[in-house]
Amino acid sequence: MLSALIWIPIFCAAVIGLLPASVSSSRLRSLAIASISIVFAWSLYIATQFDVIDIGLQFQEDIPWLDSLGLTYRLGIDGLSLPLVILNNLLTIVALWCSDTSIQRPRLYYLLILIINSAVAGAFLAHNLLLFFLFYELELIPLYLLIGIWGGTRRGYAATKFLIYTAISGILILMSFLGLVWLSGSNTFEYNPLMSQGLPLTAQIILLGGILIGFGIKIPLFPFHTWLPDAHVEASTPISVLLAGVLLKLGTYGLIRFGLELFPQAWSVLAPWLAGWAVVSVLFGAFTAIAQTDMKKMVAYSSIGHMGFILLAVAAATPISLLGTVFQMVSHGLISGLLFVLVGVVYKTTGTRDINILQGLMTPERGLPIIGSLMVAGVMASAGIPGMTGFISEFLIFRGSFEVFPVQTLLSMVGTGLTAVYFLLLVNKVFFGRLPDALANLPRVSWSERLPGFGLALIIVILGLQPNWMVRWIETTTTAVINDFTTVAAHLPNPKTIDLPLTPAVSENPLPVRLN
Amino acid sequence: MVSTRARSKHPLAEIIETLESGGALLPDSEENVLEVVGVLKSYAVVLDAYSNNLNYIAEHQFLVLFPFFKYFNGDVSAKKLFQHWWHDRFNYEFAEYCMKAMFWHGGGGLDAYLDTPEFVALAQAAIGAKLKGNLLMQGLSKAFPEFLIEQVRLLAYYSGLGQFWRVMSDIFTELSDRYDAGEISSIPEVVALVKEGLVKSASLPITYAVNIDGQSYDILPKSAGLTFLMDTAVPYVEAVFFKSFPFMGTVSYNAQARAIPSEPERFSYGVLYADPLPVGGAGIPPTLLMQDLRHHVPEYLHQFYRRSLRGEEDLRVMICVSFQKSMFCVTTAAILGLAPHSMDTEDPQEQKANRKYLEGWMDKLTDSRIAYVQVCEM
Amino acid sequence: MHQFLINTSWWVPCYGLLAAILTLPWAVGLIRRTGPRPAAYLNILTTAIALIHGTFLFNAVWGQPPQYLEFQWLQAAGLDLSFALELSSISVGAMELVTGLSLLAQVYALGYLEKDWALARFFGLMGFFEAAMCGIALSDSLLLTYALLEVLTLSTYLLVGFWYAQPLVVTAARDAFLTKRVGDILLLMGVVALSTYSGSLNFSDLYQWAETAQPAPLVAALIGLSLIAGPTGKCAQFPLHLWLDEAMEGPNPASILRNSVVVGCGAFVLIKLQPIIVLSPVASGATIALGTMTAIGASLVSLAQIDIKRALSHSTSAYLGLVFIAVGVGWTDFAFILLFAHAIAKALLFMSIGSIIMTTTCQDLTEMGGLWKKMPATTGAFVVGSAGLIGLFPLGGFWALQRGIEDFWLVAPWLVAVILLVNGLTALSLTRVFRLVFLGEPQPKTRRAPEVPWTMAVPIVTLIVLTLLIPAILNELTLLPAFGLVNVPGVVLLVGSGLAGCVVGSLLKLNHTWTRPVQAPLRFLQDMLSYDFYIDRLYRVSVVWVVSSISRFSSWCDRYVIDGFVNLVGLASIFSGESLKYSVSGQYQAYMLTILIGVALLGAILTRSFW
Repeated sequence: MLSALIWIPIFCAAVIGLLPASVSSSRLRSLAIASISIVFAWSLYIATQFDVIDIGLQFQEDIPWLDSLGLTYRLGIDGLSLPLVILNNLLTIVALWCSDTSIQRPRLYYLLILIINSAVAGAFLAHNLLLFFLFYELELIPLYLLIGIWGGTRRGYAATKFLIYTAISGILILMSFLGLVWLSGSNTFEYNPLMSQGLPLTAQIILLGGILIGFGIKIPLFPFHTWLPDAHVEASTPISVLLAGVLLKLGTYGLIRFGLELFPQAWSVLAPWLAGWAVVSVLFGAFTAIAQTDMKKMVAYSSIGHMGFILLAVAAATPISLLGTVFQMVSHGLISGLLFVLVGVVYKTTGTRDINILQGLMTPERGLPIIGSLMVAGVMASAGIPGMTGFISEFLIFRGSFEVFPVQTLLSMVGTGLTAVYFLLLVNKVFFGRLPDALANLPRVSWSERLPGFGLALIIVILGLQPNWMVRWIETTTTAVINDFTTVAAHLPNPKTIDLPLTPAVSENPLPVRLN
Repeated sequence: MVSTRARSKHPLAEIIETLESGGALLPDSEENVLEVVGVLKSYAVVLDAYSNNLNYIAEHQFLVLFPFFKYFNGDVSAKKLFQHWWHDRFNYEFAEYCMKAMFWHGGGGLDAYLDTPEFVALAQAAIGAKLKGNLLMQGLSKAFPEFLIEQVRLLAYYSGLGQFWRVMSDIFTELSDRYDAGEISSIPEVVALVKEGLVKSASLPITYAVNIDGQSYDILPKSAGLTFLMDTAVPYVEAVFFKSFPFMGTVSYNAQARAIPSEPERFSYGVLYADPLPVGGAGIPPTLLMQDLRHHVPEYLHQFYRRSLRGEEDLRVMICVSFQKSMFCVTTAAILGLAPHSMDTEDPQEQKANRKYLEGWMDKLTDSRIAYVQVCEM
Repeated sequence: MHQFLINTSWWVPCYGLLAAILTLPWAVGLIRRTGPRPAAYLNILTTAIALIHGTFLFNAVWGQPPQYLEFQWLQAAGLDLSFALELSSISVGAMELVTGLSLLAQVYALGYLEKDWALARFFGLMGFFEAAMCGIALSDSLLLTYALLEVLTLSTYLLVGFWYAQPLVVTAARDAFLTKRVGDILLLMGVVALSTYSGSLNFSDLYQWAETAQPAPLVAALIGLSLIAGPTGKCAQFPLHLWLDEAMEGPNPASILRNSVVVGCGAFVLIKLQPIIVLSPVASGATIALGTMTAIGASLVSLAQIDIKRALSHSTSAYLGLVFIAVGVGWTDFAFILLFAHAIAKALLFMSIGSIIMTTTCQDLTEMGGLWKKMPATTGAFVVGSAGLIGLFPLGGFWALQRGIEDFWLVAPWLVAVILLVNGLTALSLTRVFRLVFLGEPQPKTRRAPEVPWTMAVPIVTLIVLTLLIPAILNELTLLPAFGLVNVPGVVLLVGSGLAGCVVGSLLKLNHTWTRPVQAPLRFLQDMLSYDFYIDRLYRVSVVWVVSSISRFSSWCDRYVIDGFVNLVGLASIFSGESLKYSVSGQYQAYMLTILIGVALLGAILTRSFW
């Protein structure tokens, strides 16, 4: 059942790769959209079959693969991964839809996007550390090529920077996985939340450090973020949508799945520091965004700020805050996707993204009034205006984190206020005022270019008004994760007893921990 | 012939020379002729409707307190009411807007007459007749003595503008007919025809009387000696082409910002100055006119518009550009019609007088959109 | 029937929202061949329906104990977020005031904006605006109230930004949003904290919590201050007051609502929060201090304005300052009556000046004069509105201020002085405006001034009648003091201060040209007042400067320190230029090869660890 989510895109990618070069670009695009639409429909079907009160993994698939390596093909889905899988498919459709049909080498382009879709789905579904890592790395090279081939003028620099950063991220994560398995004496890479329990705290903290930096690069968190603005600026619109909407979520997903869940004890020790780190990231992202003049860079830095909220909430690790993180991942995916789509249209029609050049695009007949209105909606959603998803996720995060880290939470809320500052400056500069003569002859924007914007805005509003439609899928899992976390974290080992054999606290009184 | 005259030192010297050599404010080109005549053809239809309505309001809605049906021209039916509510109608508000601009800026004999005791006496008589038996309004009129007289002045302008536009509509219809018949092919010919129409009607009397209870009350009697050209056309050009009102959508009314000149004479927001780009947006009244024009644009002009980058999407902006061009032609006609001497005069004294006269106009036009219409580009 | 009305009460805010959605086809330009007026009619219709529905509802709840409706919204992870509505005569009455004034303002807008092609967008926003305000009136949940306040912030931004192409609108809309947003974020902090401490965000639960809770003084003070911050922004109180002045760039029909009920909404929320604010003496002290500063400062500032809209908008801040004082001291009845009287009188004044602007194309007081003879409705509106605002017997303002004097007479006599001062200064300011606009000789811009058409005149006259009826309404609501219980010295002082203001105003030498006094101190004073004590400049060198410096610094750090370090290490620079050449000219196979090599390397890394 879950394998289809991974293999249909791969199959379609293979088909596209084998098609003759004479097939037109728009045909290829339709084919790709059709296949991802099937996957999207399938993921929605899985959602309907999903048992919302089951705390365990569902629809598991377990096929032995390389036993000697401890690598099994083990898939499963829970409330943490389900929304992200659906988001992945939705945004891939949006990205494909926004793709320019006049690009060079369309077959390779669509093939790579489909591979990314598959790899991301695989990473969200994998329940074997090594399998996750394989999928996590699989997404890297297509994205590198997508930026490096179809990017802007400095694409080489940006793509290489992305590649190196992400490769380091991968190595750190792999080393932590290997270290965890070795130190815990396990002979398999099966995902097991209890694995770290026997380890001395120092070892746990070191391993967690690797995970944190590894995923911190991917999220990205200050100061590992500098690849992101460059990558966004050079990437074409669809790639930015995928990058911001989906790929960054791998980082935050990893933070929860492999940080919080695998290293509960070390996590609870580091949590105050992580909350502080989150505040720095939030404020740094927000302040730096204010100084940007490139619209894409501004949205990219806003991502850094908004992803910082997630670190705060995961650090706080309360049921409400963790629910907020999943909500925030989805709403950030939708909102940043929307913003990148709109910036893309502006760039395509005007040829610039500089907010000091653009002006008066709200002008009805010669400007981009509908794109402008959608932009106002997207910006307001990002700034956390109620009625849209951004508000709920931020409220849940703040409400959930406040009990644990009041000061850090309040400081992060300043970041929300700053979001309004830079995005309002953007809207006011770009869309208000008189249309300059230099921009008086813009080409028309077709309804098909507006459609993704409308679709995303609609989803943002609907989920903002009726969050239950998403919360019910997530809630059981996040609550269970926190239950596990708090029970395990309560049994902190003595950091000095480094090499002592395990005190069998776990086996003596079996904890209500989910053993998948 | 041009070379016999000294070069003007005016910034718009080139345009002065063009005018002196028989040209117009708008360069002559096939496209310009097509645009100007096409848009004027549509304008003729719109002006006809506006003019009928202004005259109807002046005559039949005299001091009506709640003129619900003032845009119906007396023809109230369910179908028309529905169309009205669906806003499927002429935007008569724009006619009133032009009328208010004329009324507010004043100038000319009509404006001066409205301040004379004769007018006040005539107006009082009509008001008295209208308010017969209406004690409330009589009381109000007593308490606020100028209230109803000011309304009658306004109605006089309704009538004045209605009569002016009647003539203009006929001129533009004739222009379009002759273009369709192949008799007109250049901008100077367009200008000549408009000028001829204006001159022909120059001394047409402007009068206004209302019928109350079967009795006719003169408001603007023939004896006031108001005529078409000097008392409506010239103030109209001044008020609508040049001064007009600042658009709320582009100019701040904030007193501390001082964006609006404190003397109405220094206003320059008229047709010849307005920026066509924001048309269609908020706070841009000419959008109403462009909306009316779009329904009556002849097919050849519509074809021309469809070829643009945005196709139908920016129709109103393009109509506004064409309309502005056509108004430069009308202004040329007015300039030539009012010139002290004919432009092809050989007498140096007369040439000098003409030069001075033209320089006076050009001073006003320096900041207008004239530079934009010189290049044939949208 | 009664229960049915209660159960359907939530429809009332929805009418406005529904109409706002229905205007979309016109607002986004789907309907282009015909005009946007149907959207306006639709909104007026739904507002009228809302008003009628509200009237029935008011009859149903009148004299009854408050009833509550609760809607579950989000329950997850132990968090219970529900939207509660309170249906009492006060809340439904406030809603009636909102819908009533909204209806009048919309009819008025039909005339005021008759030449504006973006009518549909305007009316859609008005519907949105109205829905949010009705919701705030009914809301019994702090979360819902907060959400609606934010929606109000958003719609203020959009309404002020209605004429988006006008240069001053661009900054005005921005400042309106950001200033209110500062208040909103601080309020959100309070909401989050309260939600954590009390576990519920329904007002009734919060009141219960406030009765029993013993929070640390610091916590209570911080919560109280953050709760004040939201209304401070909404009610244009110092130091978040400048947006209202700038917001006058927006269309006047929206200004009518903004200066009457929108600011009122902020005050309404403050009144609802009063039991929590009083937990901390610091917070209630701050409320009084802010209110006093604004009341006096704004009254003085309005004296020096030459812009007709701004002269009145500052007096809005001043009156809302009195409401703040009332809440700080704890006399919410005074606050309610003042809000009610002020809303109606101020709306009437704004209608009057709207028709002046429409007729004269001018907002500059120094360029006006002599309008009274020609414009009966406008003149009447200004006179009645002024009389209804200030403490002149016997209209609403008198009864409201009289109530305040009564309340403060014994507990805080110095606040009586504040009320009298504000009253006197407002009377002075309004007299000054009246003389400049309506009396004297006509000037070039007021030479031809016909009275406005009926679409504007009808709402004006309706509101004149309503303003005159306020004493009767207050009597009906049993809010007037019994005859024998009136505090005679208080009344004398109040009427005296109003009269004094009027007398000084009529004797003041007024200059039609904007001349400045010759004496330096006087000139300085005039400039300082007319530029709002230079507070915008203060902002520029403080908050704005700090934020922009930090942002420039962090951007510099990002560019040169962090990224510079990365590039220095050479991680990226090795590959930056040349190595990707093949990607431009290369062939299909090259990419496949790259991928294969990548996967192979991956496999090698993986397996190597197990060799």
